[in-house]
This record gives sequence, structure tokens and C-alpha cells, in this order.
Amino acid sequence: MARFQWFGALKAACIAGAAALSFSTVAEAEPLGSHQPLVQASLGVRASKVPSKGYDAFATSDELIQVSIGVGATVLKGGNFSLAGVGFWDYGTRSGTARGDGTELDVHRLSIGPEFRYHLIPTLFVFANALPAFAHSEASLDDPIAGATRYARHWSFGADFAAGAAYQVYGMRSGESSKPRVWLMAEGGYGYQPSTRLVLSPDAGSDAPQRTQPLDLGSLALGGPFLRASAAVSF
Amino acid sequence: MIENPTRIWGWAACALGLVGCGSRASAWDAPFTPSAGVTVSSSYGLTGSVAVVDAPLGRVLMLRSPSALSIDSVAFGLGHDLATAQVSSDKKTLFALSRGVQPQRSASDELPQLMLIDGSTAPSVLKSYVLTEPMDNLALDPQNEWAVVYGGSGTVVNPNELVLVDLSQDGDVAQTFKTLRSTGGKPKRLTFTPKLAVAGADPRRFLVVERDSDIVLIDLSNPVANVVTVPLPVTENGQTGTSAQIVYDAASATLAVRVAGSSSVYALPLGAPAQPDEAFSVAPNLIDVGGIPAAIDFMHTADGLRLVALVGTNAVLVDPVTTNLKTKPLSAAFTGIRRITAALDATASATADDVALLYSQNSTTIAFLTLDASTSNGSVDSYDIGVSVKDVIDVPGDTFADRKILETPAHQFYMLDLTKRQSAPMETSTGLTLQVAPDGDRVWAYEPGGTGFASVDFSTLHPISLKAERAVSSVYEIEAADGGHSALALHAGNGQGLGATVVDAVHPSTATARFYSGLEFGGVK
Repeated sequence: MARFQWFGALKAACIAGAAALSFSTVAEAEPLGSHQPLVQASLGVRASKVPSKGYDAFATSDELIQVSIGVGATVLKGGNFSLAGVGFWDYGTRSGTARGDGTELDVHRLSIGPEFRYHLIPTLFVFANALPAFAHSEASLDDPIAGATRYARHWSFGADFAAGAAYQVYGMRSGESSKPRVWLMAEGGYGYQPSTRLVLSPDAGSDAPQRTQPLDLGSLALGGPFLRASAAVSF
Repeated sequence: MIENPTRIWGWAACALGLVGCGSRASAWDAPFTPSAGVTVSSSYGLTGSVAVVDAPLGRVLMLRSPSALSIDSVAFGLGHDLATAQVSSDKKTLFALSRGVQPQRSASDELPQLMLIDGSTAPSVLKSYVLTEPMDNLALDPQNEWAVVYGGSGTVVNPNELVLVDLSQDGDVAQTFKTLRSTGGKPKRLTFTPKLAVAGADPRRFLVVERDSDIVLIDLSNPVANVVTVPLPVTENGQTGTSAQIVYDAASATLAVRVAGSSSVYALPLGAPAQPDEAFSVAPNLIDVGGIPAAIDFMHTADGLRLVALVGTNAVLVDPVTTNLKTKPLSAAFTGIRRITAALDATASATADDVALLYSQNSTTIAFLTLDASTSNGSVDSYDIGVSVKDVIDVPGDTFADRKILETPAHQFYMLDLTKRQSAPMETSTGLTLQVAPDGDRVWAYEPGGTGFASVDFSTLHPISLKAERAVSSVYEIEAADGGHSALALHAGNGQGLGATVVDAVHPSTATARFYSGLEFGGVK
């Protein structure tokens, strides 16, 4: 119950913050033009909370930080609304120890799909997206008795659902300009990813004993709430 | 272009709040370290599972075999601050004695307890007895009727208090607190007798408590009754006598005590009660056997019961009733005696003529001692096996009950067939540790820290040597859930985790062996 109250307060604060930004700049309304980006590229950071028990073997806390590279292109425009196609590649790694054994988790996440945008003012738009996602994870554990590193590698299919806002921090005021614009973007949402089994085995050719049996550390679900903060360049 | 940086920080705060923080269970941060204490072993072999003490997490990992060559694990908390653990004589139950949280700061702090864990193919916690005070020592009844905890470790300790736990009962009613009258000593060793046929009373079992200068007899049929304390005689050089060995004869309800450093043995026939409030009486009888005996035991003969004392190269036969002595010359100075009558004939009555195996740590000869009517003074069949015997290991089960394993201080051990009186030496390149399979079909030998291990089948005496790919810390054979048998060669080292090489115990081969590691992660959440 306390957690829901906490999230509720955060949600209210976020809405209030967005409203404050909107009201302070409402007088700037003018034709959007190139404020609705034709193409856009972003570089940022994605911070996810991975509550899965399977993640405990690789990290002392639930956060997974990934570098995030995104591209997008507006495909439809209608007044303040626009529809873009966006895609992200998120990559991050987390390493730690499990009962003294070194562990590491590498996660790639590729998501692509539609994003709906609404410009509150030319330099600020809010957006929401639903992006089908593919994730590839490689979990590894240094096994001192086996004398080898064990791996569990998986592809899995999921989806990201997020909403956020972008604020132009550099660019011409006029929508007629075709010069690059720089945006700061922040979004939050939930990444769904089904759990995969953490069954770790040494690679063929390793120094592990013959017929080394898989090590089952349970399951790992890389889904959870996430935030992404990025800087984008649009044309 | 950023009009108000504080608004950006507001977004960042929102972001951090949404992602939040979480921490994992502390168990992930505790490296596995095999227990290496005096009173707690790193592992225990049971009939259907191997118990591995995971001391950093205060738990035991029960490794079991669903089928031959496969293993999995289940973990049970052992209680806080494990004092000692032992396996029952039938290898079916693990007893774990823990001290609990000391000192207790809150009502929720764990109390001392004695936990019983089923060691079958489906391990489970059978029951737990909560104790009021932390205790350090545990003695188990070979018949699994009693457990005794003693030797407290609290701020104030009553060293002569025993807590007798009736294993047939649950809860507090199972515990009987017994304080022995102090004569300056404290319990050193506890012996549970079988039912002794006490004259004038029902057969009953006794707990014999050896202390520094006396022994105490507790009637287990009525543990709250008064105990009987028997002071031990001083030795010939005036020192306080201490017990070195306790033996008993069930049919005559007679105990005998070998007194360390003394040429006297103490016969303690238990008789009809002398007083109305007594359940039995003791009539101590000090018998000088003419020299300091290395070992004693009772033997039944056609002429009646005799107490055999091995003195030098003689067996001194003592009639415990008349205290008359006879001396039987032996072929060597034997230091150990083991009655093997039941091993030779499981149907033999309690008073059948006995056969004893004599062995020595100082001589390479073993002998079979028989005291029967036909040979009057008895016979001694001696065999020179070329090496002294450190210990005699019994073989469980019925199939090879007439076999013994002679453990030697050298790099060999002997498989002894009592019926055929044949011994088969098994030579090794290094000193080995022996582990008999719970069903008694074979023995496993290994060198802790080495990679070699082997099995010897009792039916064929054929050794099969195996070589693991990692250093072996111990080897156990367990019954698999599907009826097969698996042998587990454990690999455990400080900070190295826990692994096992598993072979089919019946047809052991490294060509089919499977290697498991990361077993220490079992049950960690």
C-alpha cells in the first residue's frame, strides 16, 4: 500500500511539473513546422528496475542501467498530433558475485514501433509509445570447481510501454528552419519481458569436467518499470 | 535555452523515484565454506541423501539422487549456532544440536534446539525439540530411542546436568532433566545398553555415564528415578581411577569397567533391588587380572559367562560370579577384542558360545578366540596378515554381516570374511578413508584432497578404481529414489563452492560419471 502511495505522489508531481512547464511557455505558441521532427536520433540512458529473483545472482540491487540509442521518423502529422516510428537499442551489463563466484549479465534490447506525439508548444511535446521488443541476455557465472565459466543465453520477445516528454534545448524558434534541433527527452514506462530459465552450462571446449551438468539458478525476467533520459537531435 | 534548471531536476527526481532501489538476500553475499570444526563435520552420509553443512547460511543441504547419476538438493535451516551434528546408527536420521541466539534479546530470538532430519530419498525435518539452555554435546542411542544433550554453554552451566530426550515423544514432555550428583567430575562418555535382564525386575535399558572418577547408571525405564553412582577404584600408583572402557552382558545384566592404568577390572553385576525404593542394586567386584589390560569384553561359554581381559600376550578369563581367573596364552599382544558371534550367526541366542576377533595395533597378527565346551579352555586361531590393525569396521545390512573391514595405519586395508576366516588385502598408494555403503554391499575408499577413489564389492572383492577430475573431499553412497544407487564424490573447498562427481554405485565408471557444481546455490533466494 505504501508503495502505491509513493508512486501516486510521484505521478502527481510529474504531472504538476509538466503542467508548470506548459503554462510558463504557453505564450510561445506558433506554427510547428520542423518542430515536428522529420527524423530524430537520440543517445541516452535507460534505468530499469528488475525485481526478478533471478537477477539477485548478478547484482546487489535491482537496477539495470543501459546505454540507449534511438532513431525515429515522423510518418504522419495532423495539427499538434504526429505519429512517428521509433526504435531503440538498449545495452547494459551488470556484474557481481554470487556466494563468492563472479557473475555477469549482459542485456541487449531492441525495440521498435509507433510513437504518438502531441506538441503542447513548439518546443515541448509529450509522447506515448508501445514498442515490441526483442531482448538477448547472456548470464555468466565463474565456476571455480568446474574451472570454467558457465553461460545461459536467451532471446526473448516482449514489449515496452512508455510515455514522456521532449523539450527543445537548442534550435531556431521558427518552424521554418531546417537546421538541427537538440531535445532533452525523458520517458518512463514498463518493459514487459517473460522470464527465461537461468540454466547455466560451460561452453564446449572449456576446461570443465566431462558431462558437467547444467546449473539451474531459477528464472530471470528482465521486465519491470524503467526510465529513459536522452538527448536527441532532430531534423 | 534551459529556462529553469530546477524543473529538469524535478524530472530527474521523478525518474529516480520510479526506478527505486531493491536489495538482494544476504545469502548471496556469503561464500560457501565447508565446516571444519571438531564437533561438526562438513558432510554426513545417510541412507538416501548426503547432508552438507552450509555453515555460513546456518543450514544443511540435503543432496539426494532422484535416479542413478542424477542429484538435486533441498535445504533446511539448522538453527542458529550449530553446536554439533551426528547421524543415527542406522544412518536414517541427522541430529543437529544448535545453541540458538545467545543471549536472547527478544522473544522472537531462536531458542536452542535439537532437530531431527530424515535422511531418506525424500529428506524432511522430522521434528524439533526446543531446549531451554544451550548445550554443546550430544549422545545418540544406537537403538534410536533416546538422545542425550549435555555440557551447557550458558553463563551458568551445570556440567552434571543431562537432558534425556525420549525420541518416541514430542514437545516438552519428551525431555527429562537429570542432574547427576557431583563428585568433582563431569560426563565424558555416554553408553546406552540394550535391555539387561536384571534379576527380580523387568529387563531394562541403562544409560552409563562415565565421569572423571566414577560411573553413573541411569535406568532408562524410569529416568526420573534416583541414579546409582559407582566410584572407581584408585590405581595401583594411587591415582584416581578413570574408566577406559565399559562393556556389558545383557543376559546376566553385568557391566564391567576397565580402569585406565590399573590392573584391576571392575565387575558390576546388577541385581534385584536391595531397598524398596530401588529398581535395581549393584554389587561392585574389583578383580585383579594380573596386569594392565589393553581391552576387555564378555564372552559366553559352555561353562558360563567369562570376562576376557587382554593382558600382554595372554587372555585372562574371569568368572564374574566367583572371580576365579584362568589364563589363556595368545600368539600376540592383542589390544582389541570384538565379539563376532552375531555376525557369524544372526540367529544365535544371547547366551550362545561366543567367538571373538582379536587384533592389535602393535602386532601383525589377528586371531579368532573361541571359548567352548569342546575345547575346554578354548581355541585361538591366529593369522599373520602382515600389518597391524587400527580399527575394525562393521558392515551393515544382512547380506555381508559376516564381513569386517580391518583398517590399518598403512596404505592398505583388509576385507575379512569371518565365516571362511579369509582376509583379502586391498593395497593403495596413499592412506585412504573408508566409507561403507549403507546397505553393506560395498566399501568406498578415497584420499581426501586427492582425485582417486574406489569401490570394493563385498561379493567379488573386485576393486574398481576411479579418478575424478577434481579433488575429492569425501565419498558417500546413497540410495536413489528410483531404487538405484549413486555414489557421490564431493568436491568442496574454501570459497570454491560445492560440487560432486556422481557415479552409478553398482556399476561405477568415470566413462558415465556426471559432474555437478554450484550445489551451494540450492535453495538460495
